[in-house]
Amino acid sequence: MTLALHHCLILAAVLFCIGLLGAFSRRNAIVVLFSVEIMLNAANLNFIAFWRYGTNPELLHGPLFTLFTIAVAAAEVAVGLALVIAVYRHFRSVDLESLDTLKE
Amino acid sequence: MNEVTAFWMLAAISVLGALIAVRKRNLVHGVFALLVFFVGLAGLFLLLLAEFIAVVQILVYAGAVGILILFAIMLTDRVTGRDAFRVTSRGSFWGALISLAVFLVILLPTIQDIPTIENPTPKETIVETSTVKQLGIHLIKPYIITIEILALLLTAALVGAVTAAQGGRASENEENNK
Repeated sequence: MTLALHHCLILAAVLFCIGLLGAFSRRNAIVVLFSVEIMLNAANLNFIAFWRYGTNPELLHGPLFTLFTIAVAAAEVAVGLALVIAVYRHFRSVDLESLDTLKE
Repeated sequence: MNEVTAFWMLAAISVLGALIAVRKRNLVHGVFALLVFFVGLAGLFLLLLAEFIAVVQILVYAGAVGILILFAIMLTDRVTGRDAFRVTSRGSFWGALISLAVFLVILLPTIQDIPTIENPTPKETIVETSTVKQLGIHLIKPYIITIEILALLLTAALVGAVTAAQGGRASENEENNK
């Protein structure tokens, strides 16, 4: 038994759903942010697995897309955490349930 | 066989890390579990012969993002009491149900085909084509515009992050100066 493509794909699906679980069931904005990071990393694992087992690995599409994803994710987490800090300064809390000013 | 053992170990490390990161009540412990998840995933990338991506993963995620999140926790939560870091969950049941449903939607259509499909065998040429030099050549040639856009995005994100993080303080200072 060798390592097959579907092992990586199932693992990526499991990791994606763990991230989804965190994004849905947590109230802290920081936890939601890093749940999104977990989901992005699961997508990266899919890119690398398809590249490794794909038909044209010499074109290096998988690693290149993963590099772009990592750069975008880094920009996203920087801006996201800055927004979390700004929200905390305003509301004195990062609890997502307490940010309901727009509802009133 | 060795490869499969390494895969299962790394898979167990990353899944456990992600689960603990998401479910742990103590936020700081959660971030350390997240770092374990990032390192486990870097090991998986290494196993799939994407060594440059593995190094970038450790450098960017375990190095920069993890520390950034840790700093954000230190800045936002009062570090006084033991309960300061604790997170309460909301609708845990529905969250678990929805993510389980998404998992089944992803897997169910394909899971019965797994024993019958022929396994694509990884090509061995990958070892000499996936060097950093080849990666650089392939990165510059067709994706030069994308790299420029990405550089612009990172600069904008840097400026935006600084502006968003200190926006309130700056206006207060201006009011004080008046």
